Amino acid sequence: MRNSRILGVGRYVPPRVVTNDDLKACMDTSDEWIQQRTGIRERHYSEGSTGAADMGAEAAREALARAGKTIEDIDCIIFATLSPDVDMPASACLLQNLLGRPGIPAFDVRNQCSGFLYSLATADKFVKTGLYDHVLVVGGEVHSTGIDLTTRGREVAVIFGDGAGAVVVGPEDDPRRGILSTHLHAEGRFAEKLWLECAASRERPRFTEEMISGEAGRMFPKMEGRYVFRHAVTRFPEVIREALDAGGFSAQDIDLLIPHQANLRISQMVALGLELPDEKVFNNIQRYGNTTAGSIPIALYEALDEGRIQAGNLVCLAAFGAGFTWASALMRW
Amino acid sequence: MNGTLLGVGHHLPAVVEQAGVRRPLALEPVGPSTLAARAAAPALAQAGLTAADVDFIIFATMTPDVTFPGAGCYLQDQLGCDTVGALDLRAQCAGFIYGLVIADRFVRAGIYERVLLAGAEVHSSGLDYSARGLPVARLYGDGAGVAIVGRGDGDGIRAAAIHCDGRQHAKFWCEYPASRQHPVRMTVDDLRAGRHFPTIDVEAVRRFGEESLPAVIAEVLEAAGTKVDQVDRFIIGHVLPEVGETVGTRLGVASSRLNIPAARHGHLTAAALPVALSEEIAGGGLGEGAIVCFAASGAGFAWGAALVTL
Repeated sequence: MRNSRILGVGRYVPPRVVTNDDLKACMDTSDEWIQQRTGIRERHYSEGSTGAADMGAEAAREALARAGKTIEDIDCIIFATLSPDVDMPASACLLQNLLGRPGIPAFDVRNQCSGFLYSLATADKFVKTGLYDHVLVVGGEVHSTGIDLTTRGREVAVIFGDGAGAVVVGPEDDPRRGILSTHLHAEGRFAEKLWLECAASRERPRFTEEMISGEAGRMFPKMEGRYVFRHAVTRFPEVIREALDAGGFSAQDIDLLIPHQANLRISQMVALGLELPDEKVFNNIQRYGNTTAGSIPIALYEALDEGRIQAGNLVCLAAFGAGFTWASALMRW
Repeated sequence: MNGTLLGVGHHLPAVVEQAGVRRPLALEPVGPSTLAARAAAPALAQAGLTAADVDFIIFATMTPDVTFPGAGCYLQDQLGCDTVGALDLRAQCAGFIYGLVIADRFVRAGIYERVLLAGAEVHSSGLDYSARGLPVARLYGDGAGVAIVGRGDGDGIRAAAIHCDGRQHAKFWCEYPASRQHPVRMTVDDLRAGRHFPTIDVEAVRRFGEESLPAVIAEVLEAAGTKVDQVDRFIIGHVLPEVGETVGTRLGVASSRLNIPAARHGHLTAAALPVALSEEIAGGGLGEGAIVCFAASGAGFAWGAALVTL
């Protein structure tokens, strides 16, 4: 079986920057409070009629250019998002339309913070088994239209930002290079520790005015922060070690760890647990907040741009989030 | 080694009459994960497995229990599958075939041995059964089908093809809630205007179904080196049952070799194909060694087909 490799990475973040101080206009919060708990200084919000697919298309074009490919080379599109442009069909259909490649398969993966890695794992198997040669994997979110930007919703709302990242996955003949392994997990008994309830097909009727405008804010995401934190700092190192064990590596072999940008304090705890020095862990949540399915490819893009990844480096991607779901991927760059 | 179907099961809620239409409808407050858990039990039993043997879950639905996390996480909890991964897939009417392709590739790559693939929908809670919405609402039913995809020594999944034409995404869609609507995805005005109900350009969807289904069936038959006459059953998933009839006529297939689940249950979307297969197996219509061609076409527009030896 041939191997697969990330051939190019792109990203797009909308131009509008929203600082912690800017958020004070709509809620009772402070720069100090947000930075202390999350490390976040600012995030980007999209405007106009921008959806996840619009940003994903920009990221995809850059990924294609950096891979030296055109959209005609792509055999399949996988889009990871929890904030689709429209309720149905999948945002991947809209993305395929924007990129102008009718006919190839396009689907969404709805796995929250782990969505990009679930998608990457799927693309990896498609390429390794010879089903497709080039798969475009995009992760993108427009959170800003779905968060509660009032004091009531501040604990969750301050964390999230909009953005998208994309990678082109293609074949690699050298079995020691490329995506070495992927690892996917879930634990649904914690589904409602970090969730967005409505629209919910289990509610009859699915929509009411109370859901939209009621006191309970049922169309906004909810999080039991300390609970999520505790599980994240356990599952992140666990799934990173699973990937290392699969390849016969130890934590000291990692050249760069790119954790999903959920919270700077989580990343720091994970690095401490694995005894990884700061220079081996990439963080950019300070500037983007949590962009969920977009965060890993955005971070990978910036790590490459800053020269933090060199050919031959061992790079580990890892994620934890709503579901709970968690995942990792180990790559020889 | 390619994937094979180790077991299939289904669950349909009770048939009830809603606005003059008789359909299986989940009138209790349940999401698709609950229906899928009920379909998983017979599928696992048929495969001679228990939930502890499942090493990955793929859940295809367009009507998840809640907005997030996905129905796969809820199903994983209900089955008690420890910490195995649960991928939530959105490919509308073609969701089961897309899921079959993904499951098959994880099995072929040697990553998982037994993947539980669920296709399930609770449409009824999101449909408009008033006179305004009834032409669309009457097309749908609720239900779940589960297939266990694993390593086998038979022919199994012999060929599969998946496609999408996103240029036509607005011809069969449900626009709201829409993350692209700034500053907020859905307002009370959107609700009052009924923008959260699905709409269908029936003629465009009919035309596309009649074109795409024979073409993708021909594609998988050719890939598998199989003739139309060798296929025991064509299971056709389309929101308009008459499209299935037309496809059968074009292929020259007698109605006894054609299974159109929408004609019996209304359209079950991601659940339609596994429900139909499970019904056939339970009724003795298909057994080991039978050759089944699945095909589905719908919103996206996404479509696909798979040729499977049972």
